[in-house]
Amino acid sequence: MLKSLSTKLLQHLAAQNAWSASVLKPYAGKSVSLDFVLFKTDLVILEDGTLVSAGETNVADATVHIPPSLLPRLLAKDETAKMQIRIDGDTELAATLAKVFAEMRWDYEEDLSKIVGDVPAYKIGEFARSSSQTIQQTAINLAEMLSEYWQEEKPTLAKKRHIEQFNHEVDILRADVDRLEKRLNKLNNTQILS
Amino acid sequence: MTTEHNTHFGYKTVAESEKAKKVAEVFHSVANKYDLMNDVMSAGMHRGWKRFAVSISGVSKGDKVLDIAGGSGDLSRLFAQKVGAEGQVILTDINASMLGVGRDRMLDAGLNVPALQCDAEKLPFPDNYFDCVIVAFGLRNMTHKDLALAEMQRVLKVGGRLLVLEFSKVWQPLSKIYDAYSFKLLPLMGKLLAKDAESYQYLAESIRMHPDQETLKQMMLDAGLSKVDYYNLAAGVVALHKGYKT
Repeated sequence: MLKSLSTKLLQHLAAQNAWSASVLKPYAGKSVSLDFVLFKTDLVILEDGTLVSAGETNVADATVHIPPSLLPRLLAKDETAKMQIRIDGDTELAATLAKVFAEMRWDYEEDLSKIVGDVPAYKIGEFARSSSQTIQQTAINLAEMLSEYWQEEKPTLAKKRHIEQFNHEVDILRADVDRLEKRLNKLNNTQILS
Repeated sequence: MTTEHNTHFGYKTVAESEKAKKVAEVFHSVANKYDLMNDVMSAGMHRGWKRFAVSISGVSKGDKVLDIAGGSGDLSRLFAQKVGAEGQVILTDINASMLGVGRDRMLDAGLNVPALQCDAEKLPFPDNYFDCVIVAFGLRNMTHKDLALAEMQRVLKVGGRLLVLEFSKVWQPLSKIYDAYSFKLLPLMGKLLAKDAESYQYLAESIRMHPDQETLKQMMLDAGLSKVDYYNLAAGVVALHKGYKT
């Protein structure tokens, strides 16, 4: 039941993003497992380049491990979060699928227009877009306000320049240790020779 | 226990040569009301299962599809829409009565789908010809399932897919309810709607004698298919197996 529903949904998305079929077609028959730790889902690429849920005994060609803590950052399009995704197996396949997912768009206005008509669908879409922008802006303002408070009023967060200074000092210390190590080696060698 | 010359016909044991004849009698008897009964028996779900099979077939425009034991032509009709005018769908069935129903439906729908009466154990097609072969609710009625699967594998192109949609082993906690439904309600509905309780008793028995999900998967692997996987539909009442020719 769930597989049939998710297959319908995925194929609907594929139909709205027709370009994705040509990108995925070369990987027909291959499957990718998305491991979110709390749950796991396997997807198979069909011969026509569409995606469907895999069956009960699928053996995935690639596994993408995404810890749940990364999900909000990925949804917020945090590029550094992508570096923490671990991939096993066919990395090219997994990377292609990730790219397709990143660029896929759900044209909800189109779907909505079939139920309520074009004009109301456009208005609802416009309202959703402006609400999302307002929410996003409010979230950024709140985060900035909190970070300023924790940095200036009640310092629990380190400032960027302090972290950079600390990193710089660690680099100098590392270089000093290297030099000392070489010097000790040199002294040791001289002692052995004499 | 069956010998090499005997086989199952529901819960009965019959000579291999007789099974095809007996199955033919059953389907000849139910042909005209087959779809109505399917709708009543599955609460219309068989249409959803067939659509799901088509959606995971990967069939696209221009493909060649073979519908085995296609009977009333539900799948052929869906596939014909998918492959378009440049593709080809062939509807086959061993039973002339069922095939007649399917052929008429295709014609009524304005679809140019050839209907061919043939035995799935001896398919009259060349090697490596089809992109997709499907058998829906037909494999369990075949006498030599291994031979039929090998034939289906033979006619597939490399990269082609075999889909088997068939009743299977239901999720254990539901088995008692399912048994009551199959052996009490199903023959009763057959009696009331198709005036043929015996045929529907055979349908219920043949479902129980059919291999379960894992056994059928192994049979498909033995027939030379690879990457075989299956989907349980309606808690395993039906399973859809898919395998590739490589």
